[in-house]
Order: sequence, then structure tokens, then C-alpha cells
Amino acid sequence: MTSLFINDQEVEVTPGTSILEACRQNDHDVPYFCYHPELSVAANCRMCLVEVEGWPKPAASCCTPVSEGMKVKTQTASLKKDRKMIMEYLLIHHPLDCPVCDQGGGCKLQDYALEHGASKGRYAEPKRAVVNYELGPFVNTCMTRCIHCTRCVRFADEVAGTGDIGVLNRSDHMSIAGIVEEALESELSGNLPDICPVGALLDKPSHDVSRPWEMSHHKSTCTLCPNGCDIHIESRGDEVMRIRPIAGSPEPWICDRGRYVYDAFRSDARILEPALRRDGELQTVGWDEAFDHAVSLLKGKRVGILFSPDWSVEGHTAIRMMRDTLFPDAKVAFDLHRRDMRPFAFEEGLSMTTAQIEAADQVVVLGSDLRQRLPLLMQRLRKRGHAGKPVSRIGAMNYRTNMNISSDAIIRPRDWPAVIARAMEQVRDLGKTAAGFDAWLAAVPARHEAGKILADALIADSCALLVGEEIRSDIDAAALIFGLDLLMRACGHAEAGSDGRNLIPEGMNAQMLSSIFADVRVSAGELFAAASAGELDAIVVVGSDPLGDGLFPTAAAAALDKVPLIQIGSIAGRIGERAEVQLPAAAGSEIEGTFVNMEGRIRVATNPIRSLGQERPLWKVMMRLVQVMGGEVPVVSLDELRAAIVVRVPSLAGAWSATEQDKLLLAPARNRTSTYTPVQQKHAFDLDVVSRYSMYREGMWARASKLLSEAAMLHCLDDLLVHPDTLAEAGLKPGEMIVHSFLGKATCQVGVRDDVSPGVLFVSRRGIAGALSDTDTASLTGGQS
Amino acid sequence: MIPSDPKQVKQICFDRINIPDVNTLAVAREHGAYEFLPTVLKTFEPAKIVDEMKASGLRGRGGAGFPTGLKWSFVPRNTGKPTYLLCNADEGEPGTFKDRDIMRFDPHLLIEGMIMAGFALNVHDAYIYIRGEFLHEASVMNEAIREAYAANLLGENILGSNYSMHLTVHRGAGAYICGEETALIESLEGKPGRPRFKPPFPAVEGFYRCPTVVNNVETLATVPAILKHGGAWHAAIGVPNNTGCKIFSVSGHVNKPGNYEVPMGTSLRMLIEDYCGGLQHGSVPKVIIPGGSSTPWLTAEHYDTPLTYDGMTKAGSMLGSGAIIVMDETADVVAVTRRLAHFYAHESCGQCTPCREGTGWLERIMIRVEDGQGCDEDLHVLKEASTHMAGRTICALADGAAAPILSMLKHFPEEVRARALGKAA
Amino acid sequence: MSAAVSASSHRFSEARLAEIAELVKRYPGVQSALMPVLYMAQEDFGYLSMDVQQHVADVLGLRLMQVREVVTFYTMFREKPCGTFLLEVCTNAGCMLNGANELVAHMCQSLGIKVGQTTPDGMFTVTEVECAGACGGAPVVQVNNVYHEKVTPESMDALITHMRASGGAK
Repeated sequence: MTSLFINDQEVEVTPGTSILEACRQNDHDVPYFCYHPELSVAANCRMCLVEVEGWPKPAASCCTPVSEGMKVKTQTASLKKDRKMIMEYLLIHHPLDCPVCDQGGGCKLQDYALEHGASKGRYAEPKRAVVNYELGPFVNTCMTRCIHCTRCVRFADEVAGTGDIGVLNRSDHMSIAGIVEEALESELSGNLPDICPVGALLDKPSHDVSRPWEMSHHKSTCTLCPNGCDIHIESRGDEVMRIRPIAGSPEPWICDRGRYVYDAFRSDARILEPALRRDGELQTVGWDEAFDHAVSLLKGKRVGILFSPDWSVEGHTAIRMMRDTLFPDAKVAFDLHRRDMRPFAFEEGLSMTTAQIEAADQVVVLGSDLRQRLPLLMQRLRKRGHAGKPVSRIGAMNYRTNMNISSDAIIRPRDWPAVIARAMEQVRDLGKTAAGFDAWLAAVPARHEAGKILADALIADSCALLVGEEIRSDIDAAALIFGLDLLMRACGHAEAGSDGRNLIPEGMNAQMLSSIFADVRVSAGELFAAASAGELDAIVVVGSDPLGDGLFPTAAAAALDKVPLIQIGSIAGRIGERAEVQLPAAAGSEIEGTFVNMEGRIRVATNPIRSLGQERPLWKVMMRLVQVMGGEVPVVSLDELRAAIVVRVPSLAGAWSATEQDKLLLAPARNRTSTYTPVQQKHAFDLDVVSRYSMYREGMWARASKLLSEAAMLHCLDDLLVHPDTLAEAGLKPGEMIVHSFLGKATCQVGVRDDVSPGVLFVSRRGIAGALSDTDTASLTGGQS
Repeated sequence: MIPSDPKQVKQICFDRINIPDVNTLAVAREHGAYEFLPTVLKTFEPAKIVDEMKASGLRGRGGAGFPTGLKWSFVPRNTGKPTYLLCNADEGEPGTFKDRDIMRFDPHLLIEGMIMAGFALNVHDAYIYIRGEFLHEASVMNEAIREAYAANLLGENILGSNYSMHLTVHRGAGAYICGEETALIESLEGKPGRPRFKPPFPAVEGFYRCPTVVNNVETLATVPAILKHGGAWHAAIGVPNNTGCKIFSVSGHVNKPGNYEVPMGTSLRMLIEDYCGGLQHGSVPKVIIPGGSSTPWLTAEHYDTPLTYDGMTKAGSMLGSGAIIVMDETADVVAVTRRLAHFYAHESCGQCTPCREGTGWLERIMIRVEDGQGCDEDLHVLKEASTHMAGRTICALADGAAAPILSMLKHFPEEVRARALGKAA
Repeated sequence: MSAAVSASSHRFSEARLAEIAELVKRYPGVQSALMPVLYMAQEDFGYLSMDVQQHVADVLGLRLMQVREVVTFYTMFREKPCGTFLLEVCTNAGCMLNGANELVAHMCQSLGIKVGQTTPDGMFTVTEVECAGACGGAPVVQVNNVYHEKVTPESMDALITHMRASGGAK
């Protein structure tokens, strides 16, 4: 530690810390504009000047490292004068339009002008006007207000990875600008208004809508992806106005999906009142009437239950209690993207924190579009890239990442066994092996060169393996994951403390779900097949939209043709059109609830926003359903429910203690009992179908958001894409052609892109390309169907 | 020591300057170029060269006057990274035009100096960053480098030694700030020339974050003489702490403007009167800017100041790059200051607040003052805005911008006030 | 490299591309070659239109913004065309003390244009520039980057006449 004196107080900080950080850590106020703890240091605003004893000139504290015994002063008369002058320089060209500026009330320039500036400026010459530029669907620019701190430039370069914001010209003609012809393409663009210290970059959707001081802040957890970022929901009355990240939380940023979903809270798609279908139309009714109708559809019936992973742990536990009390034989499904429900050698969830992944020697991403799936984890990988650390990747497409991937291969999903086998042989040649290698290798005749990338990375001292949706949704996923598990064991990445096995889950609470529902879960496809086969009488869907998401829309539609649907949830979605009964359940932000993210971190929401209508917490709806069905109600309060949760999952005991909560990190499940070797698949069609996940249109909440839906239009690719070689081999040209799959024939437009693997049919708009979502293989022929 | 007649001292950088065609390798070699190089490459220890440079007392000729040997000794060895040598030939300080003459007349002197410096610092890639306007000088340098490569003076295994060095001329493109060493590095990396904050210093993290030495043309051109004659020889020229000869670029109201290489310690008066043929009008100068436009002004009372780093500091200014701009009694100091204010406003890289906004503000006020549209408040603001720019920014451009304005206000308060208020004759 | 380059005649010749490939080898990083390549582009295409800047970015594998930042920072890179003869007069201190302002006024009057303008025949552009680093020869005028020192109104007139007679053949 280095000790120094700040305003005569002796403090200790880590060697190499900047004076500014030392001041911040010890509550000595030093003003600054350009410094941002998550960005590189620019030292250009000069607001953070401090005096160091014995130094002839004031020092910029943000870029000056501390040294032993240094004596720093932050509040001398001379510094006050300097700050006053710097405020005057900054305000020379700044328009004094605070009354009409959205930043007003939350503006560093305004605050510092009051605190450090003069009451009147002396500049009497013409002021500068600066041209605005396009920054995408979520950011407005008003560049005349810019103070050139370059935070946005550094953000675009270092965090978003696009580098499309730059500094043009010099002297007082210097301006921050984007490329005029191209809007910024970043899934993190909503952070730009947050980091802009003035009103130059502003939030477009909330432009001219509200003022910072009107907002009440509700700490919550974003459930739109398994990263589960900490968020502040800002509301005015009961209206959600903004969602923002929380400084000091594990992720300093949030993605546009999590931020701009806020308009879904007050969208028409919300289920705010109980409703019944009468004469084909949903009609609002009272709770009692709705429950009565539900009872008539469910009493004594064979019921299937499908729910979303994004509810709170309390909601999930209540679903299980309801099932056990009312329908002890019911099949339960919650993952719309998993075909193989055999227990995986390493189950869903990360065994590392994202910070540990960022720091690992090697990171290998297998079959995942991380930028769309987990934008914040992608951002951490980008930080690795800036630090010169490798990131390797194998997958069906060269998904755009805005970073340099160190080793890259595109493969057909059917080649995964050959890739893993190739890696096994390479590490075995280096003397690293595990019991089970031989049997696994014997089951796989082929070898694929991409396995070298995997093996090369595994040889490192620490290696984070990120297994994504392409493997998780495979029909033989358990065998692939078993093979990867063998590899990780062989290379020493499976021991406690250095466990690098990470299976990216579909949604929140993966570790909880795999323990609460381990014994009763089936795949959603199995559930729908049972309904279609007449084995079920009704389906209860709790906040899931199998018609809009996932791999089973055709199966789901067929099932709902056969049996009635009881929908419980916050958003109607596409499936709402099929509901016989709708029961409103409160959204995650409207309840007190507990959430587990993919790392196993626990977050408890305690300060919910007010409900807009009749919706109630899910657990209460479930208990009421038990009651009206004549069952014995298992719990009647949140405390009782949580006590019941701890009985099922003892490791959650500390979850609701503020001091214990942060120490908890739930590990994903491991299964060492079953051995799986790959089964030789007989593929009905020659192309592997891979569907794209779009952060702007995936999930009921995103589709209910007008803002995200509009952004989705800017980010769309052709509906179906193949590699040019794939078409050339079939003697076809891009354009209209017939797609054959087990569902039959369909005429589609097919485009080409050379970052799709040969032999893969890439479905870039799931749902739009409709029926294809259910398939995993297909083939193409020319002509009309 | 300085002899009574400084003209007796053998010139160092300008030794061959008047020899016709000395820019060609053949002629340069006839006059001693590269004569001592094999001895250095084969018998000198790199560390000994650094010691010799320290002993010579040579201070950087680019403007800051930092001891060259000391700068070289800061370069860490065995970092696993390459070390780079960059020659700063971005000569842009108003009043300075000395490096241009070395490069266009005796390019092999610079090349030889760079090879020796490169050898001392274990450099294998060196660059000459030359200002974009010096197109002719760049082509002379390039031709000399071509000849040097052909004669195995550059490239692999120079003159049969184990030492290899490549040399590339890189043109700037019109930015004064690139003369600042970290801005030069940024520019050489293909970026806008915006200075970096320090630490880290270039010696540790410079060009592509590798150890880097940036030396001025004149500094590097002095190296061959120091190694040939020894550090002590160089230290004996001039005065203690201000050793050797220095090229002074004299311009403005003198009868014979030009470059003059004289021993350090020669007086300002002697330089102007004996070498430069005296003033165009009158007998004493109204203003002398001793080290380039960024240095504080001197007036007639300092006419006898010795041309040394220490002497100029004592007189309240700086020796800078040795660019002496002389103004006689006919000079319009307000117009000159306004013009310099324009220069700094135009050349500010724009990153630091005080400089970006302050330089433009100062220029706009100066325009009004020059036009007689000013007021007393303007003069107060000029002083305050200049004072709070200087020393508050990443590089010293703001200090340079403040110097002329503060000097004008200090030395000519009445003249300036009368002009500002429109009461000038 | 971006595939989205619009069709344009502004393409480096094969010889230039070979020269650039050699140039890049002299630097530890490819971006260092940006300024020399921009000079080549300016020489080949006259000035650096957005199209040319995109081409340079593509050739070096840089982002357009990296090129834009450099082009707009340095005064010697031109985004607009200029006259056949670019007359750049230094008006900084040394030249100013030796009649540069009067020289500029004279040139503008002779050519019938203002500073920064080009004559209607596209022959001459007059600009004021910062210190050219040749104050010993003040006042200094650069004609297409060739230095002319101790220029007087008379010698300038003679030079202009000569240039005009040469008809733009540089």
C-alpha cells in the first residue's frame, strides 16, 4: 500500500492508484468531467487539478499516480480560482439553454457551474454552433452543448467496440462526431447519454418527457437475459420512465434491450385485468369469475404446465407447490430452447463469475452469438481484447462481435462431435486424458480441424469454456456436453476453484430451476406432443410465449388446437390470442422477489414500483388457484414461502439477509452418474438449421416494447442465409427457392453471406420464417413449391 | 569557455555546411562523414556512449534543454520490447529554422548521429519525423538515406558490424503541436497529434507503447562530434551547465537574418550586432523573443544577456530552440501579439479545456484590442485567462500562447491600453 | 475491410498498392502508414473526398473514423480541391515583420481574389499559413510546397506571370 496525505489526512491506497481515485475512495471531493472509472484516462477537462506539495504546477489528479508520502491539497484558494476559470472556459461556447435541456437537474456542468463557477461569464464574442450527428434509434445529439470530454469517444472504442465516434478538427473547431452516413450500431448505445456529463448526448425516447428530479428510483434486477444486471427503474408516479444501470454494481453498463424495454410496462400487450374468452373475444371480468372458469377447465383434468424462467424464485416455487398440490402427475416445462432434457454433465449456469472469465488465460466460445445473447459478457470479452488477451470461437456463424477474435472457425452443428473428438486426440497426445475418452472417441468416426482451436485453448493454465445455444439446443446435447466435460477434466479445468465449465442458460434462475424442477421437467416439445396426442386436457402457460419464441412454435400451435389454454402472466404475447382465461400476474419490477443470475449471484428486489392494474404477485395467484381448486394452501405469506424455499434449496438460507446475500454464489448442478456417447444421427436433410437470436425481438417483453421493435427493424438481415458455396454446390442462385423440412415445403427468399458456415441454413428472423424454427435440418431446391 | 572571439570556435553542426554538394555521400565522406563510425560500432560500449553523452553536458536543442545523456539513460534495457529512436524534425516554432539547414545541406551528419545514437540505445528502427512543409528537405534526406543504405551505412549489419538499423523519413502534415514529443509519437502512429499525459514518459512507454527516445535534429547532429572528440571536449566549449555550440535562428528586424552557430554564452548583443549586421532601425531593440514565439519577451535592458539556458532563465525567459525574433522601434507589438494569438488558437490540438477555449478567446479579444474596440476589462481578462491557461494543460502549448500576451501586457501596458481604447496615434 | 464501398474511379493503381504494401512494412503498426498514404491519395486524386478517405481506410484496413480524424486534424490534407498553383504565404511573426501582410494584400489584388479563394480559371489559390520554418528568408511563400524566400510584391508578380505562362504545367 502507498500512504499519502490528502488535505492533511493520511490515507492508504493501492500503489499506482491515481490521486483522483485516492480522493474518491476517501471522500475528498474533486470535481471532474472527463474521468470515468470504467474508461481509459483522457486528462483533458483539467477540472480535477490538485496541488501537490513541492510541485511547481497544479497536477491533473486523474492521470497522476500517487507516491509515498505525497501531500495533496484539493481545496486551496488557487485551485478554487483555477476551477472558476475552467468553468468559464467551458461555458464560453456552451449555450445557456438549461431550461430546455433534458440534462438539466442531472448535469455535471450545471452543478459545477453553481459550485465552482462565477455568476457571470465575461466572454463577449460570437459563440460556436456545432452540427449534430446520427447516433442510432436511442440517442439524440445536441453537439453545441458538447464540452469535448471524449467520454463517448472512449466508450464507443473501448466498450461498444465500434469506434465510430471520433474527434474531428482541432483548436476550438474541434468537434465530436460520428460517421455521417452510418448510424452507430451498438447494443450498448443507451449508455452514451448516461456517460455524457452534459446535455450533448441525450436519451431519444425520453426526450422532452421528464425531469430527473421527478423520478423515484426502484432498485431492481433486469430479467431480460441471464446476466441479471442491477438496474434502477425510474418512475414518475406509477409510470416507468427510464431504466438505468447502478454505479458500483458488477456491470457498470446495461444493454439497450434491458434499458428500452421500459415502454412495454405500459403497452397494450400488458395483462392488467382478469379476462375470459366469450364468443371468441377476451372480455375483462372479476377475479372470481375468471378463477371459476379456470376451475372448470382444470378440475380433475390432465394438465401440462409451461412457464418462463424469468419469474422470481418465489414465483417458481409457488408454481411447483401449485403443481404438487393440484396436479401431482403434471409434466412441467420451462425452456423453449432445449430439446435434450437428459441431465447434462455440467448443467446450466456459470461456474465462474464474469470477472473471472474476463481474467482467464483463455476464453473459448462454443456456438453462441454472445453479442446478442449476453451483451455485457461480450463487453467483458472486448475488454480482454483491448488488454491483448485471446478469445477463441467456434460456431455456425461468424457472429459480429466488434472485437478481434483471436482464433475463429465456422462449422456445421452436426460436426460438433468431430470437433470435440479432434480436441480430445490433441490433448491426449500431450498426455492429458480422462476415463471415458476412448469410449467417446470410438463413438465418433469423423474429426474436424476446428477442434484444434478448442484444444489449443484448453492447454492454458486457466480456460473459460462458454458453451452456448448451438450446443445446448442440440438433439444430442447431453453427449456433446459430456464430451466437453471429459476434455475439461483431462485439462484440469474441472476442479473446484479452477472450474471453467460454463453452460450459458436461456434465462434467469437456471441453478434454481434445475434443482426445484429436476424431477418433473420435460422439454416443451414433449409437453406439446403430449397435448397433441390427446394425453393432456389443458395447458397452463405462465409468462411464456411458445408461439413467438423458441424451437417449438409449430408444435405449440398444434397442441393449442387440441386443448384449452389458461394464461397467467404480465404480457399477452402471441399466445394471448389462444387464451381461454387470462390471469394477471405482476411483473418482476412490481413485486418483492428474489432472482439468481447465471453466475449464481442473488438479488432481492425490495422496493417495487406500483402495479398498474389488478395484477398480483405470481405466488399469490398460484396460492389463490390452489384455494379455488379446493386444495390445501401451502403458504399464506412471503415469509412462509421463503421458509419453504430454504427447505427445498438450503443454500439459499442467507438470501434475504443484507449481509449474507453478497456472499452467496449458487453453483450450477453437476451430474457425474450418467455417461453419454454421441449417437450417429441420421439427418433427414442436408443443411443444419440454426436460428438467430435477436435481442430486439426475442421474448414477450421485447416484442411488447415499441422502442425495441423499431430498433429491430434496423438490425434485420435477410430472413434466410446460406454460405455462397452451399448454393453453388446445389447449383442455385440467391433469391426465391423451396425449403424442405420435416414440416413439408415452403417458398422462401434466401440470401448469401460468407460468414455463415457452409452446410448451414441460418434463420435470421425466427418466427417470421415461421415453421422452420421447429426444424434442425432442411434442404433447398430451386423453383416454386 | 568562450574565447574572446567566438568565431574562432570550430562549428559543430555547421562544420560542413558551406561545402558544395556535401549532401552527397561522396563529398560528405571526403570531409569526414562516417569516418569515426566504424570505431564507434566496433569498439564502443553502448553504456559508455551514454556516459560520454552525459559528460558532454549536451542539453536537448529542441527547446526544453533536458540533458541528452540523462534522457538516454532513462531508457529501460531488456524489456523484451524494441526501443525506438525518433528524430524530431517538426521544426515549427515560429522563428526556428535551423534544423532545415542541417537536413538540406548536410543530411549525412544527421544520419551518422542517428546511427550512433541508435547503437547506444540498441535501436533497430529509427524515424525522422519531418514537418510536412519541408518537402524539399524530406527528399534530400531520402536521397541521402538511399545512398547510406547502398553503402551499408544503414540496414543490416552496418559496415560489417553486428549492429543493424533502419531509418525512415516520415512527413508530418501541418500541425505545430507535433513538435511536442508525445504528440509526435501519436502522429507517427497515424493519429491526430494530441499530446499524451505523462507519466508514462516516452523513454518507458512511447512509440507503440515501447521505450522511445525523441531527440531534436541539432541534438542528434551533435553526437558524432562528441563521440569523436569526447564528452570532455564538448563540455569545455561554452560555459558550465550550458556547454557546446548552439545554432541561433535570427529573424525579424535585423539586417542579416539567418542561422548562426556560436558557442553557448555568447551575448545576445554580440550575436545581433556582430553576426546579424545589427538592427534595421535604431540602435536598441524594442523586443527580443529569445527562444521562439512561446518564450517570454526580453527588452533592451536584457541586450547583454548571455545566450545560455541559465542566462535566459535568469532574465525571465527561456533559451528555447534558439529562435531569436528581433523587433526594432518600428514594431507594432499589439499586431504581432494578435498574430501570435491567432497562431496558438489555430494550432491548439483542442483536447485540454483551457487551451482549446482560452486560445480562441484570447485571439478574439486581441482582434478587438488591435482594432481599438477594447476596454480595460479586456486587458484584465487577457491577463487572467492567459495566467490560468499556463501550466494547467497536458503540454506546454498553452504556456506558449500565454507568453506573448503576458509579455505584451508587462512591457507595454500604456501602449496596449491606448491601442485598446482607440487612443493610439 | 468494408465490402460496402460505393463504386468510384478513385482507386489506387496496382503500382501504388505495391508501394503501400512496402511502406506498411517500415512501421510496427499499419496505422502509421496512414499519413503517407493520404499524401499519395492527395497526389493521385487531387484532394481527399469522402470516397477517397473510405478507399484509404479500406486499403489499410482501418475504420473510416480513424482516417477522418487524421484528415481533419492536419492542415495539409485537403478535403476540397484547390487551384493548380497553391500559394501559401506565411504571415506569422517573422514574415509579418518583413512585409508578409502587405505581400498578401498585393497578391490578392493582383489575382482579384480574397485569401482562401481560387481564381475563376482554377489556376491560383491564395492562403495564409503558419510559420513555414524559414524565417531567415522572410517573407516566405510556398508554391505547391516549393519555398520562395524574401519574396517582394514585384518578385511575386513575376512569379505569377511565369506560372500563368506555363499554363498550369507544374
